[in-house]
Amino acid sequence: MGRLLLTWRLAIRDIKRRRVQAALLLLMIVTTTTTLTIGLALHKVTDSPFARTRAATMGPDIVAELGPTPGASRDVARQFAPLLRAPGVAATDGPYPIGFARLTTRHIGVLAETEGRDAAPAVIDRPALTAGRWVSPGGAVIERGFADALGLHVGNRIDLNGRAFRVAGIAVSTAQCFYPVSSPGLVWLTRGDTEALASSAQPLGYILNLKLDDPSSAESFENGNAGTAFYNAGSNDTKPSLSSWQDIQRQDFKVISVDQKVLLIVSTLLALLAIASIAVVVGSRMAEQTRRVGLLKAVGGTPLLVAAVLLAENLLLALAATAVGVAIGQLVAPVLTNLGNGLLGSPPTPPVTVTSVAEVVIVAILVAACATVVPAIRGARTSTIRALNDPAHPPRRRPWLISMSAWLPVALLLGVRLVARRVRRSLLTAASMTIAVMMVVAALTLEHSDEVRNRAAVIGTTTVAGRVTHLVFLLSAILIVLAALNAIFTTWATVIDAQRPTALARALGATPRQITAGLATAQLMPGVLAACLGIPLGLALYGVAGGHVEQASPPLLWLAAVIPGTLIAVAVLTAIPARIGARRPVADVLRSD
Amino acid sequence: MTDTSGSVLAASALRKEYGKGAALVRAVDDVSLEVAQGESVAIVGPSGCGKSTLLYLLGGLERPTAGTLQLAQRQLEQMPEAGLARLRRRALGFVFQAFHLVDELNALENVELPALLAGASPRKARERATDLLEQVGLEDRAEHLPSALSGGQRQRVAIARALANGPAVVLADEPTGNLDSAATTDVLRLFEQLHADGQTLVVVTHDERIAATADRLITMRDGRFVDETKLTGGTQRTVTEIAGLDG
Amino acid sequence: MPQPSELRDTEPLNGYQLRVVREVLLALLAAEPSHGYQLRARLALALGPLAGALNDGQVYVTLNRLEKAGLVASERVGQADKPDRRVYELTPAGRHQVTDWLEDTSWPKPAPAEFHLKLVAAAAAGLADPVGIVNQQRRALLVGLAQAQRAALAEPDASVAALLLEGVVLRLQADLRWLEACARYWNKAKERR
Repeated sequence: MGRLLLTWRLAIRDIKRRRVQAALLLLMIVTTTTTLTIGLALHKVTDSPFARTRAATMGPDIVAELGPTPGASRDVARQFAPLLRAPGVAATDGPYPIGFARLTTRHIGVLAETEGRDAAPAVIDRPALTAGRWVSPGGAVIERGFADALGLHVGNRIDLNGRAFRVAGIAVSTAQCFYPVSSPGLVWLTRGDTEALASSAQPLGYILNLKLDDPSSAESFENGNAGTAFYNAGSNDTKPSLSSWQDIQRQDFKVISVDQKVLLIVSTLLALLAIASIAVVVGSRMAEQTRRVGLLKAVGGTPLLVAAVLLAENLLLALAATAVGVAIGQLVAPVLTNLGNGLLGSPPTPPVTVTSVAEVVIVAILVAACATVVPAIRGARTSTIRALNDPAHPPRRRPWLISMSAWLPVALLLGVRLVARRVRRSLLTAASMTIAVMMVVAALTLEHSDEVRNRAAVIGTTTVAGRVTHLVFLLSAILIVLAALNAIFTTWATVIDAQRPTALARALGATPRQITAGLATAQLMPGVLAACLGIPLGLALYGVAGGHVEQASPPLLWLAAVIPGTLIAVAVLTAIPARIGARRPVADVLRSD
Repeated sequence: MTDTSGSVLAASALRKEYGKGAALVRAVDDVSLEVAQGESVAIVGPSGCGKSTLLYLLGGLERPTAGTLQLAQRQLEQMPEAGLARLRRRALGFVFQAFHLVDELNALENVELPALLAGASPRKARERATDLLEQVGLEDRAEHLPSALSGGQRQRVAIARALANGPAVVLADEPTGNLDSAATTDVLRLFEQLHADGQTLVVVTHDERIAATADRLITMRDGRFVDETKLTGGTQRTVTEIAGLDG
Repeated sequence: MPQPSELRDTEPLNGYQLRVVREVLLALLAAEPSHGYQLRARLALALGPLAGALNDGQVYVTLNRLEKAGLVASERVGQADKPDRRVYELTPAGRHQVTDWLEDTSWPKPAPAEFHLKLVAAAAAGLADPVGIVNQQRRALLVGLAQAQRAALAEPDASVAALLLEGVVLRLQADLRWLEACARYWNKAKERR
């Protein structure tokens, strides 16, 4: 028990001592966990949306439609009777009246299809409400895609054939394709309202929903005209037209596939970049741990205790960050997943499920474990003295760099030597920056991608296309914010690491401006590398995430602007902490040794 | 106001405080010091008496809470950080207790660093560094890294570095604090030599042997100067008398 | 066999060094017989700047006494017009003396009793402030240390006399450290009153 307490106390003390670094690290991990959460949530949305909607709405296997044609209502029961008796039919629901009506909103007038329903939920095809309530007299429920296209919300007033109705709710269903795949759009009303809207010019038709014993045979049921086979060849009865659920799915998919692709790309991007960021964070954290290991060993810690303290520290940070990240994800994700759901015509899914939280927590624990394992093992193997004296790895000497830098102006001299003393850290910084550039490039590519533009072409309605760009824009913004935070973290960490050599340089006569310039130079070198690598890698990542790079064409001007943009961003982001650091009295830094 | 024009370093009523209210600590309390050209001053005192803080103040590495400071005819209290840096580069050499050599540079590269920072050409800087290393007796160790040098050798490299830009004053903070007796003797010799060459020195130390190389010895306690002894000039006893062998 | 202490008691004590001259001469003769002036030269070399402590006649007087004590035997050599050209050599008794001396680990008294008592007396009598006396002494020792150190540094590299001077310096340093402690003590004593 005592040892547990000791472990806890050591870990807490360590974190308290390096508050700024711990805070930065926490921030970094929080953003990555948030991103991971959102990415996972979005990914789930893209996961067979049709199947989910079908399951949620008790979607029919076969939809049999009669009319609307004049005279269709005459003997509905008889016309549908053979179907009721057909082999393989497990259950039927309906018939429900359908018709056409002219729907007018404040801005637009368009033809709509009406369907009459009971207030009580149906056995088959129970449309899932994404907003509002089910039909009531005077209350209409609009199909989701249709509602989006018309810009309708719950409570809006509409006219159907001149009669005033209220939008009572918005719902999705797999009994028909969503608007605009299925046109005209669908409005559910009460039976009474539907019949009232019918006229001789717009007669009623009827719809029957069927469930089969074997849902997968729906297609053959439809194709084989199995249903119509029951009708006598010579009969004058109108045969109902049949649609299988697979049919509907296929047609929906033409549009869903595009949306799915977009969301899939974005969610994969987020997840990949989040994981890459975490890897970089872990890498930089490992470097600091070696000395801590040495200290613990020097005060008598067994390898087990050492590993325990490191793990405790890392777990603390990782879990704290995960909790915050998931919480933020909970807040942000619904916005995005709702957009996503709407696109895919599926019912609202809880954005952050227990499984997704569990997934993120597992990743966090794995990260903490990885960040512990390497330094713990290394610490167990190297002698205590070496671990104490070596700050991670002692700065390596590169004679040619040193003699070359003597010829450079002071700022460049400092910058080159700062990079040369810790090449590994500079590479880590470059990796981090490359990821940031990749995020920006991916965001740019997404904005201008053909997928996004294709959707507009397929749908043709600006409102829906607008929502897609909305989503894309939001996600790009997240990516760019992540990139900026990434950059801040790495530059700050570098400035802190360079405190001693820069303090010495100041004691020997370097002005604050020279120091700032030197630090900026030290950061710009990995920055250039990052900019050059980031562009092709960002495009490649986009391809890996599922996009088509050749089809996407971010304007070359934008891409070209990434390089100077990166360099300016790095310079500015370095100058700020450098300037702050330059104010600290030299004596403080040198004395604390 | 005394005429301080002939002095290289003149501090008046220097004060440095840390903390606030009940926790206020006066590390340096109303210290005035004047150092003439070519003079060597040693400041001794128990640990925690504020002598290191005083040295950092004199070198512009810390800002005083109150008081004035003049170095090489320039007033330091109001000078911005950049100006201080330039003055340090031009007129000051600093020797630290922990040496503070750059680990990945060899002795020669360490010594030439201040010259490079001052904008000298690499060739000139290299030449001067070689001369200085010879002056401190380490010309055969020029290519060695600090890790390959003993403590005394490292400090001598640091002293050479402090002389790189021909400073008006060399400030040394416990130069033998981390050294053993033999290394201390080496550094001692060097300080005597510097003094003989006319270099103005201010040394903070608790080692009486280092203090004994100075012209003037000031005792500091609790942030104040409490005593001053002249070590040169005045009547000299013979060494035999001092050793007590004169019967 | 006359003990070293007995010998000492027969001489008026004049500083620490005087006792040692006898033993040193015996030891130097243990290697080979020597002239008086040779012995003096070697002593002077070992003492370096402190050789002034040796007065001219001391060596010969001591050699004489050693001869009388039977530890040394002399023989006149050569020219009659140079009366000091005697060669001295060790007797077995002398050799025994040397061995004893080399094994003797007695050390000059480390207790600075006189100064300590001076401070106590000053405080008790109220005649002077002990801290003032300490500071005064400190100043004197510092000046002395500085001088001794300069002399030590001025010696050539392999000089054995430099070692002696370093000893002076380090002992003065030790004394100064003790004076610091005295100052602390007597300062606190003042506050307590």
